[in-house]
Amino acid sequence: MLVKSDKNEILSYLSDAANFRGNAEKVYVPEKIEEVSRILQECFEAGTPVHISGMGTGLTGGRVPAGGVIVSTEKLNRIIEINKTEKFAIVESGVILEDFHKELKDQNLYYPPDPTEQCSSIGGNISNNASGAKTFKFGPTRDYVLALEVSLADGETVHLTRGEVFEKDGFIDFKSKNGRAYHIPVEPVNMPTTKNAAGYYMRKGMDAVDLFIGSEGTLGIILQAKLKLLPLPEDFLSMLLFFEDENVALKFVAELRDSSRNKKNEYIDALAIEFFDWNSLEFLRDDFPNIPEGERTALWIEQDVSGAESDNILLAYTELLEKYGVDTEEVWFATGDKERRELIRFRHAVSQKVSDFISRNNIRKVGTDLAVPDDKFFDFYHFCKNGSEHSGLKFIVYGHFGNSHIHLNMLPSNEDEYRIAKELYRELCAEAVKAGGTISAEHGIGKIKREYLKMMYSDRDLESMKKIKAALDTKNNLSPGNIFL
Amino acid sequence: MKIVVCVSHVPDTATKINVGSDGKTIDQNGVTYVVNPYDEFAIEEALKTKEKSGGEVVIVSVGTDKNKDTIRKALAMGADSAVLLKDENYRDSFAVAKALAEEIKAQDARIIFFGKQSVDYDNSITGQMTAEMLGYNCVTVVVRLEIDGDKVTAEREIEGGKEVVETSLPVVITAQKGLNEPRYASLKGIMQAKKKKIEEKDAAAADNNLEIVKMFKPAPKAPGKIVGEDVSAVPELVRLLREEAKVI
Ligand SMILES: Cc1cc2nc3c(=O)[nH]c(=O)nc-3n(C[C@H](O)[C@H](O)[C@H](O)COP(=O)(O)OP(=O)(O)OC[C@H]3O[C@@H](n4cnc5c(N)ncnc54)[C@H](O)[C@@H]3O)c2cc1C
Ligand SMILES: Cc1cc2nc3c(=O)[nH]c(=O)nc-3n(C[C@H](O)[C@H](O)[C@H](O)COP(=O)(O)OP(=O)(O)OC[C@H]3O[C@@H](n4cnc5c(N)ncnc54)[C@H](O)[C@@H]3O)c2cc1C
Repeated sequence: MLVKSDKNEILSYLSDAANFRGNAEKVYVPEKIEEVSRILQECFEAGTPVHISGMGTGLTGGRVPAGGVIVSTEKLNRIIEINKTEKFAIVESGVILEDFHKELKDQNLYYPPDPTEQCSSIGGNISNNASGAKTFKFGPTRDYVLALEVSLADGETVHLTRGEVFEKDGFIDFKSKNGRAYHIPVEPVNMPTTKNAAGYYMRKGMDAVDLFIGSEGTLGIILQAKLKLLPLPEDFLSMLLFFEDENVALKFVAELRDSSRNKKNEYIDALAIEFFDWNSLEFLRDDFPNIPEGERTALWIEQDVSGAESDNILLAYTELLEKYGVDTEEVWFATGDKERRELIRFRHAVSQKVSDFISRNNIRKVGTDLAVPDDKFFDFYHFCKNGSEHSGLKFIVYGHFGNSHIHLNMLPSNEDEYRIAKELYRELCAEAVKAGGTISAEHGIGKIKREYLKMMYSDRDLESMKKIKAALDTKNNLSPGNIFL
Repeated sequence: MKIVVCVSHVPDTATKINVGSDGKTIDQNGVTYVVNPYDEFAIEEALKTKEKSGGEVVIVSVGTDKNKDTIRKALAMGADSAVLLKDENYRDSFAVAKALAEEIKAQDARIIFFGKQSVDYDNSITGQMTAEMLGYNCVTVVVRLEIDGDKVTAEREIEGGKEVVETSLPVVITAQKGLNEPRYASLKGIMQAKKKKIEEKDAAAADNNLEIVKMFKPAPKAPGKIVGEDVSAVPELVRLLREEAKVI
């Protein structure tokens, strides 16, 4: 096991993609999962805080340390088993999503969860219940976790398989491999029906596995996961649509979503519906000079298809688009894998460009990760947009509109603007909560969204969450500072 | 006026390439194919030429039925028609050029676009050979092009600079990155491409002049070695660099 303590060597572990920096004494880089328990046990006894680092692509400062030590999962990166017949994989938590996808593709298998950032780790994805474009059809990471092996704060290891341990009479009970018993109080909270990565998952009769998914490193270090796989679809339809009028684009989203969810048209069943506003297109023009002039909005649509039905699907989309006056000559159509990668790059580039812009201008990002129930979405979108326009701030909107999920990034250029942005951000969160949505649909709470979690949950709910934390980490030693103020 | 674009169907640079069991060919297992990237610039320039001066864009490709995917993409980008010159056997660049030259003659085309190089064998030679066989002018590695009546002005990349040349039709142009920004195939284009016919004929007979004797991958890089973690390792590092790696 490598232990790094040189200041320069550990620098890269002290921040994440949110441009937020902390400090730590050293970084442990275990190569075997047994080593993790030992580190945790020692730190627990000594009362040394432990922070967990995946690939550091997080956007809420989740891995950013506040003193103590860091455990990095980068070398716990073995794909242990890929089972083609039973369609599951067992992987260590440091496996990088992109590597996993490549390995599966060679075997004609498919793992849908895809936070736009392919360089993230499976452990990071599970800890944040990551989701992405494909969540529209295939659901978030949570839906694919079949079992977890977790090292708890005290160094004990527990193996949990979905379908075996449930909440009963207000408690989840399980034993570690060494036989130590854990008795965890679970008081159900009213969770939003949207996709969600804010706070613990707490529901009557819930599965113990679900407690760890989305717990942002506060309840244990995920060592290994057993993941559900699907057969690789025969082919993908992938296209980028341009609209002159944003309102027409939004109406199109509504119809496409409804058609797909409710099987209104036998050939239309989108798996992803992603939105880009005018500013997003401006950000992308340098990299994609072919973006047509005058178009103000774009949507990226994907659908899984089998060869036999592809002609009918194309026809159905052509008809639907013509109904909305879209010039199908301007629809970018991926004719193969390579072109599809280009469109994926288009989607990734917008997030990346915003991050680059923020670091280059040394400003702090104020970016929403808000989702609301589908029926409230369009009103909510207009609320966000009007508020932003009114504020006079520079801003950019894109997001997983299939899931009623908005990334609105405000780009303040000085302290005054930053203050205005923060105020607006708070208003948007309040509106999302009022609509029954979440303040964090996929990035988690980490260290930068804690005060907003209080808008979603009552003090009593938050106390219930803290009781869970206390039952599993009596000294508040693991990822202190995440989720709770 | 016909404008011909010669396109090759090449392994996607993102797929893993393995050498076949005969040690002379590529193992086709799991290899996906794409339009040769430089040929996309050639297709785009042909479409632009047509948009400016009129004409008909004809795609020509030598190979097997598998090349149809590549041809179909070119049609979806907006080409008008296509000819597949079939040969199930490996052809070297000369034999490919021979087949292309025969077809171009039959089409009576006077503006011919190639990519500057095909990223499978990287010979960078087919366009020039074809021009020679046809007795056409030829400008390679073109990054800017103007065709005005019979007059052709082309800017080409040369080592450390640019060169502007003038010539006249008939001409073979080989396209370099930077010539233009290839358009994406459109939904409308793909629908139309489905209706366009790909004419198939046997490629004109030609003997290969080259034989591939052996194909092999570069030896894998040896894994790195950690000599130590602080200054005490420096003498050993210097020794290894001098005696083992022989770089200092
Ligand atoms: C350009 C860009 C686009 C993005 N788009 C999306 C998107 O569409 N959807 C989305 O969901 N996210 C997105 N993200 C955010 C990020 O990629 C995800 O949150 C990802 O899941 C983080 O994984 P990571 O390995 O980088 O984790 P890190 O940043 O290293 O850590 C994130 C959190 O997980 C915890 N953690 C990591 N590994 C473990 C483990 N083994 N056990 C316990 N806890 C652990 C850490 O303590 C921390 O709290 C994006 C990020 C970028 C930079
Ligand atoms: C795996 C594999 C299988 C092959 N199987 C066959 C086969 O079954 N039958 C067969 O005839 N050939 C086959 N070929 C050969 C192939 O069609 C071309 O001859 C070869 O790709 C030319 O490479 P080059 O480096 O000489 O081209 P370059 O000289 O580098 O190419 C320059 C330009 O010439 C044009 N060009 C090159 N090749 C062609 C072509 N085939 N058709 C139209 N324009 C072209 C393109 O515009 C290209 O940009 C195969 C090649 C590979 C890699």
